[in-house]
Amino acid sequence: MFRHNALRYAVLVALSLAALFQALTAEYFGLEILTEILILAVLVLALDMVAGFGGQVSLCHGALMGVGAYVYALVSAKAGIAPPVAMASAVAVTGVIAWVIGAICSRSHGIYFIMATLAFGQMAYAYVFEAPVFGGDDGLSGISRLDLSLFGIDLDDSRSFALFCLAVAGAVYGASVMTLQSGLGRSLTGVMHNEQRMRALGLTVWRVKADVFGLSGMIAGLAGVLAAQHVMYISPGLLSWTVSGEALVVVILGGLGTLVGPLIGAAAFVLLKHEISAWTDHWHLVVGVVLIAVVMSGANGIFGWAEARWGGWLERRMADATRKHEQEEVVSDA
Amino acid sequence: MLETRNLDKSFGAVHVTRDVSLKLERGERRVILGPNGAGKTTLFNQLVGELTPDSGSVHLAGEDVTALPVARRARRGLSRSYQKNTLFDGLTVEENLSLAAAVHTGNASQLWSDSFTKPEVHEIVAEVAEQVNLMPYIHARVSEISYGVRRQLEVGVALATRPLVLLMDEPTSGVGPEMSKGFHDLLNNLPRDLTLLIIEHDMDLAFDVADTITVLNYGEVVFDGVPEAARNSKLLKEIYLGSWEDA
Amino acid sequence: MAHDLGFWTLQTLNALQLSMLLFLLSIGLTVIFGLMHFVNLAHGSLYALGAYFAASLAAVGGYWMGFFLAPVAVAGIGILLYSGFIKRMRKSGPMAQVLVTFGLIFALLDLTRIFWGDLALAIEVPSALAGRLDFLGVEYPAYRLFIIVLGVAIFGLLAFVLGRTQIGAMIRAGVDNDAMAACLGINVERMFFVVFCVGCALAGLAGAVAAPLLSVTPDMGLHVLIPTLIVIVIGGLGSLKGAIAGSLIYGFVQTFGAVLAPQLASVLIYALLAAVLVIKPVGLFPARG
Repeated sequence: MFRHNALRYAVLVALSLAALFQALTAEYFGLEILTEILILAVLVLALDMVAGFGGQVSLCHGALMGVGAYVYALVSAKAGIAPPVAMASAVAVTGVIAWVIGAICSRSHGIYFIMATLAFGQMAYAYVFEAPVFGGDDGLSGISRLDLSLFGIDLDDSRSFALFCLAVAGAVYGASVMTLQSGLGRSLTGVMHNEQRMRALGLTVWRVKADVFGLSGMIAGLAGVLAAQHVMYISPGLLSWTVSGEALVVVILGGLGTLVGPLIGAAAFVLLKHEISAWTDHWHLVVGVVLIAVVMSGANGIFGWAEARWGGWLERRMADATRKHEQEEVVSDA
Repeated sequence: MLETRNLDKSFGAVHVTRDVSLKLERGERRVILGPNGAGKTTLFNQLVGELTPDSGSVHLAGEDVTALPVARRARRGLSRSYQKNTLFDGLTVEENLSLAAAVHTGNASQLWSDSFTKPEVHEIVAEVAEQVNLMPYIHARVSEISYGVRRQLEVGVALATRPLVLLMDEPTSGVGPEMSKGFHDLLNNLPRDLTLLIIEHDMDLAFDVADTITVLNYGEVVFDGVPEAARNSKLLKEIYLGSWEDA
Repeated sequence: MAHDLGFWTLQTLNALQLSMLLFLLSIGLTVIFGLMHFVNLAHGSLYALGAYFAASLAAVGGYWMGFFLAPVAVAGIGILLYSGFIKRMRKSGPMAQVLVTFGLIFALLDLTRIFWGDLALAIEVPSALAGRLDFLGVEYPAYRLFIIVLGVAIFGLLAFVLGRTQIGAMIRAGVDNDAMAACLGINVERMFFVVFCVGCALAGLAGAVAAPLLSVTPDMGLHVLIPTLIVIVIGGLGSLKGAIAGSLIYGFVQTFGAVLAPQLASVLIYALLAAVLVIKPVGLFPARG
């Protein structure tokens, strides 16, 4: 069950301020990195929603993001329809596809669920790769960004675009929290804890799973739209299963089922990637070793670890306070 | 209220339910007795739809529900508790009850509102917590309450769907004698029009709370009647091999 | 497109050859899963390592040295992986296992790049198998026929060992119920270890025999992983029958799909997998009901 606590609020505020500061002060390269982080953040929020609160460890979220990007590119660049409409249709189409995948996979659990979502992701990848309308291996280019000149904002400027992505990421965070704290989200967490019991209580389990997976898919699709607008060019590589795998890595590194953790994970992942790539091209080796170390340490990622430490500290302080209180009582009794 | 007609089920060569016909009136409290392996839990599983019988039918409030899946039977008022606790471990007692109450009040799949803040959910949670004596623990997490209290919560979660018929699978299994007595009080707190079907090992408790008793042996109904008649039945003494004398 | 008998024979042979290669890969993965409930995504990386070992050894002592020693070397890597990671991850949930082995994929990928470089290696088909053979009126490369024969032989050997010997009975008992097997006095831990090593060796063997057909690159393990997973999920985890059935289904759908319906070929196999998962979520021939 998702709850905010003081630590989560504090980290959230710190992250937002850091992102805002970066967006306002950074030069071109810093803005590009920030935008990359924010887009990844949107994707991992979508993944944490299903994996962390529904136990649905999806390996197709990269592909869903790719679907969103391709639909946006096709509708806006190829069909020439206005970007806002294209964005909405990309989000809607991805949501519907995710809902269907979620419904079909709702009977599968554990490793079978992982495999099933992997299969659907690969199916999308193969289709996009083969079908001529998607431009095959060459991908699609000439994708334009949303036009906000009505409000005096030029999104072709990288600072404005970074701020735009920050606003979207903030909105997505809010929407995720709202979803998880709705009746639907709460039922999903109940299903993760005990599916059989929820069914015996009268819940139509598959519908709940499919609905949340669909919502998560919409967010992933939105991440895809942002990615397409950011780079203004897309290729099938966006749908590859390793993208889904990396998203899962980010969620795990940050802290599964905490929403805030994956945001930290996204920032850490992108920053590390750029730092490490600067001095070695064996970036994957470093990620692999870090991932193995984090998972085998048994901690729930960076944020999960911090939260556990923080919880321990709070408990000790409470215990100290009670002891002091008791001592005072003893003194006053005397 | 709840009726089975000629229910039959086999797992391979093992005949676990043989031609079981039961009929529970509204408000009736029936206890199912029988030695281990008599097919009591298997019968429950068929009643709620977790298992499909090979033949025969299940009727709830006069309607044939044999073909309905678990969730739809539950929504029609058939609820159960389990022999092994099936609680939501990371959550509080209140949240456990709220999840169930949310399903009953139709808030469980709402995206635009929080089921846990709904007054109708609160109302049910407060009422059930009162009925099964969970008020002192309402904000404790499942991991923080004792086994006995968890057993109470197990029944509480089933009650929070406001059922017409409640099936309880060994509600006192694993708890001490004092707790069993507490359970007796708990049953007295429940509304008299709620139909109860209880699998129970504790003889004293069974005779105490039951309006009627059904005894299963090798999947077959071998006795069906009022507790006084069960007490004097020779057949039952044989099935329970002397352990009966204690009762 | 000439749809004569020769065409069908040729495509059937191609499908069989692909199937047998996948079978060598998937059998290890599926039995390890069935026995230990462990999902080793790094299985494909072991295949890549097999190919690299074979290429290096072939450069020193010829093809056959690579053929026989590469599986041994990969089994050695398997021992390291087992004692370093897998033994400790046994009790973890599937997600932790997927992630640790996903990390291993990344690490092994870069390690092969560090040791062998980024350039593709090539290895020669051994001279004894270099030519083409006339098979049912079709000229077919002898080396590909060799792979088919090898796959069938390994299948026969495993079917015999699993079905007719005491070790096989023990493994089947372990797949069925490892706690029960342990009660019967079977040293389950040692059995796991042996099966894991044999599975790794077979992955290495697959890499070694595939090396002359493809160019040996660091990411070949990544590319082969998805087909292998599809095979075992279609077939059903944990069983020999499932592995061979899944391999044949994949091989034939892929090969005939590519020639008969090129636009659909790549999607076809995923659609089939999705259909299997919907109708029988545990695959066609799972080891346990």
